[in-house]
Amino acid sequence: MRAKIIILLASVVACGAVAATALEASGSQVVGLRRLTENEYRNSIADIFGKQIKVQGTFEPGIRIGGLTAASTAVLSITPGGFESYSKMADNIATQVVSEGHRKQLISCQPKSAKAPDDACATQVLSHYGFQLFRRPLTAEELRSRVALVRTMTKSSGDFYAGLRYGMATLLQSPEFLFRKEMAIPAAGGTLALDTYSRATRLSYLMWDTTPDAELLASAQSGELATPAGLEKQVDRLMASPRLEVGMRAFFTDMFMLDTFNVISKDSLFYPKWAGPMAAAAQEETLRSALDLALTKNGDMRELMVTRKTLINRSLASIYGVPFSFNGEWAPHEFSPESGRSGLLTQISMLAMFSHPGRSSPTKRGVAMNEILLCEPTPTPPNNVDFSEVNDETGPLKTVRERLMAHAADKTCSSCHNAVDPIGLSLEGFDTIGGRRERENGEMIDVSATLAGKSFHGAEGLGKFLYNSPKFPSCVARKLYSYANGLNSEEVENAAFKGGLDAFQKSGYRLRALIKGLVTDPKFFTASMEAHAKAE
Amino acid sequence: MKLDRRFLLRGMFHGSAATMMVPFLDCFLDSKGKALAATGQKVPTRFNTFFFGCGLTKQLWVPKTAGQNYETTSQLKPLEAYKSKLNVFSGLRIPFDDNPNYQHWSGVAAAATGISPTKNGQFDSKTIDQQIADVISRGARYKSVAAAASGNPKESYSSLGGLNTLPPETTPLALYTRLFGPGFQDPSSGNWKPDPAIMVQQSVLSVVADDRKRAMMNLGASDKARMDQYFTSVREVELQMATQLQRPELTAKVAIPPAPTNDMLVNNALPNIRKVVPLMSKLGAIALATDQTRVFNLSVSEPASQIFIPGDSLGYHQSTHEEPIDPVLGYQPRVAQYNVHSMELFAMLLGELDGIQEGDGTLLDHSLVYAFTDQSFAKIHAVDGLPILVAGGASGRMKGGFHVAGDNSTVSRVGLTVQKAMGMSIDSWGINSMETKSPFTELLA
Repeated sequence: MRAKIIILLASVVACGAVAATALEASGSQVVGLRRLTENEYRNSIADIFGKQIKVQGTFEPGIRIGGLTAASTAVLSITPGGFESYSKMADNIATQVVSEGHRKQLISCQPKSAKAPDDACATQVLSHYGFQLFRRPLTAEELRSRVALVRTMTKSSGDFYAGLRYGMATLLQSPEFLFRKEMAIPAAGGTLALDTYSRATRLSYLMWDTTPDAELLASAQSGELATPAGLEKQVDRLMASPRLEVGMRAFFTDMFMLDTFNVISKDSLFYPKWAGPMAAAAQEETLRSALDLALTKNGDMRELMVTRKTLINRSLASIYGVPFSFNGEWAPHEFSPESGRSGLLTQISMLAMFSHPGRSSPTKRGVAMNEILLCEPTPTPPNNVDFSEVNDETGPLKTVRERLMAHAADKTCSSCHNAVDPIGLSLEGFDTIGGRRERENGEMIDVSATLAGKSFHGAEGLGKFLYNSPKFPSCVARKLYSYANGLNSEEVENAAFKGGLDAFQKSGYRLRALIKGLVTDPKFFTASMEAHAKAE
Repeated sequence: MKLDRRFLLRGMFHGSAATMMVPFLDCFLDSKGKALAATGQKVPTRFNTFFFGCGLTKQLWVPKTAGQNYETTSQLKPLEAYKSKLNVFSGLRIPFDDNPNYQHWSGVAAAATGISPTKNGQFDSKTIDQQIADVISRGARYKSVAAAASGNPKESYSSLGGLNTLPPETTPLALYTRLFGPGFQDPSSGNWKPDPAIMVQQSVLSVVADDRKRAMMNLGASDKARMDQYFTSVREVELQMATQLQRPELTAKVAIPPAPTNDMLVNNALPNIRKVVPLMSKLGAIALATDQTRVFNLSVSEPASQIFIPGDSLGYHQSTHEEPIDPVLGYQPRVAQYNVHSMELFAMLLGELDGIQEGDGTLLDHSLVYAFTDQSFAKIHAVDGLPILVAGGASGRMKGGFHVAGDNSTVSRVGLTVQKAMGMSIDSWGINSMETKSPFTELLA
């Protein structure tokens, strides 16, 4: 009996030894430590244990750095309150997994007696789930301490599954699960490159927003993923799957800052139409229309700036002022040319998130569009700027345009405002919740603008301007690269994502080409030590 | 044989509530007779912070007289009922040295850490509430608790330093659940026994903590610090569990309220904030009274306050920049209105703390409340004369009723005074030009 256990443990240890070697190999370095986001956590649990396992708990928020919250996963840690929550969730999930209702499906072996320790079965279960949760095999020591805990707990409770629950719980609250460790090992030419498990992890969270599946882990384990052919095979597989939509949904949510809705409010006195579900609907419209273009139609991403096609539901239709006679929830809609609508720029989400509770804000919209679409963040204004003349609504300057144009006259203001205000002013045909309007304080709204020497009119003019700007595709590439690697997009070098951008351009700006171009670039998995050091 | 914790805990799961040979846990079980009695136990001094964005209006809040007989100005009127338990500080400044004055940030960070921040949005050290919690919170269930009345999870000015703020509870229900939901042990219930499930969880945490060495391998400096923070958090939860294995010490003359309803709207609209603040304050006060925590942090807005009065299309922050200064009054009238609301919200917190009787006084008498903001004059992002208010008696160590007219000395003097009143053995606070060794001794009893 003991011999059997020893043999079993030996084989497991041999498995574990793979990762141990990587870690102890001289010159290996952890080049990324990325806290799982809430969605990544939930999706990982669902994929490892099944959707029927409930996950209930609070997650600490991320912080936007360089326009992306993904960058903060590389910088934040876990506070005591955060860990307390993870600890409770871990126990809760483990309890469900070993419960009578789930154990047949989820526990691959049966103990000889349900009332006594069975190290062989405990080892089997913990190695299996440990591998999936840590995204690499457990080391001998990691396994040993947990099998010992299961044995102890089984003995004192008289219940194998109770013991197993606690072993499982230790895996679920370990930093090896909660953080994605990106491990780099020495590679050809004196560089460091990500080990295969780290590659699998990075690919999977980018493409599917979840933990690497069995096939991806196997290709990491065998080393196939480290070969160009092996990589391409997995990349094609991941991209062909409908799950790519989940990954890209997470990317667009981050890039378009859709979580801004969580912290803005609208004044219900002025805008009674704006109710609770509106924010969620607006987010959903943006995601659906972007994904439809990017993945379903495999279209030119620049269309986002000009298209009049979108998908809306009944609540959004009421703000857009269009009829809605569809049986399902989400219907494709094409705005008429007279509507003045132009792609993402005039979706309720963008117009509402970057405005005040009671009025629109050309400056906020301009700042947001510059940062989101052109990767041009705006510096903070000088401390003692005097807004009063510029924003007195009862004075002779009636529209916000007239008030903002006063900035153009002042050199300290104009350097930034000339790059920001024209964007917002061209969008002034839409109020703070995204509804169309023609007049402000009785005056007709003038939506003409000049940006970088080019003049245009209204949102359509702005859309065409952005459509033709090379900064937009470059920004998309920069943001996707930064998102994939948890980097501050403002500090990433052009060279880092050039491969992806070239592929993007060559393909006619198809997102799929960008994704593939980025991840198959030979530089993608080389450890960006400089970038990592910069993030510190 | 080494007596490690797991060895000792082995026999206890589902077993008898037996004695444990771990030093800091004596036997508090009824069978042993004299349990740690609640009466006669000295009540700990508690610490609170209250954050409100966009400051006050100098002409309307700073009393002309200094010292204890100052006149109640119009913006301090909402706090009149607590005047004898309140100290207000004017005329203090923030010497920046080489650091910029980050808009809506430097004031916050300087007041909270005594250090003018080198990066926008970051604290250069632990904030004052955490520094105090490190000393006073041992024995309470939670080291500290934070709440944000606007519902924004990013509005927390309680931090371990850097970017990591301690996340606030963002609705009254969430705060209630944290404090009085699962895991709450009512100190006044007669049948208390240590929960064996907690001992089990300690064993689980032990295994997690054992992985520390390997987890830290081959990490760069900042990742090491982050991993270290993770393990510190594990340790804190272990300590929390150890506390829960002891009979709760305090009896408080408070009833635990029923859970708030789930449908309370929590956002930046002022009427909603005015409903949420008293509720969160009440829950916080009861938590302090029942030793769920000894440090409670309440924030009503972000520094560039997004609070708005429905019907005011500008809102608070935009008003501070865009409302003209009235040529006759010499200040911004609408902004001044918003300022007064901030003081009324502060009064709500003080009211809840003062409303709980504790021994020979109230919870407020046994606390300090440190109220701070981001700007002295939000229009131009000035911080000179940053308003700070400190309420509470610190269990007799802090006198009240003063207007301290600071002489352009550094704002960190208040933080130093506060920590001394809390009983911390600290001689100086702050760094570089903000370093101070001079508390306001006239306030210290």
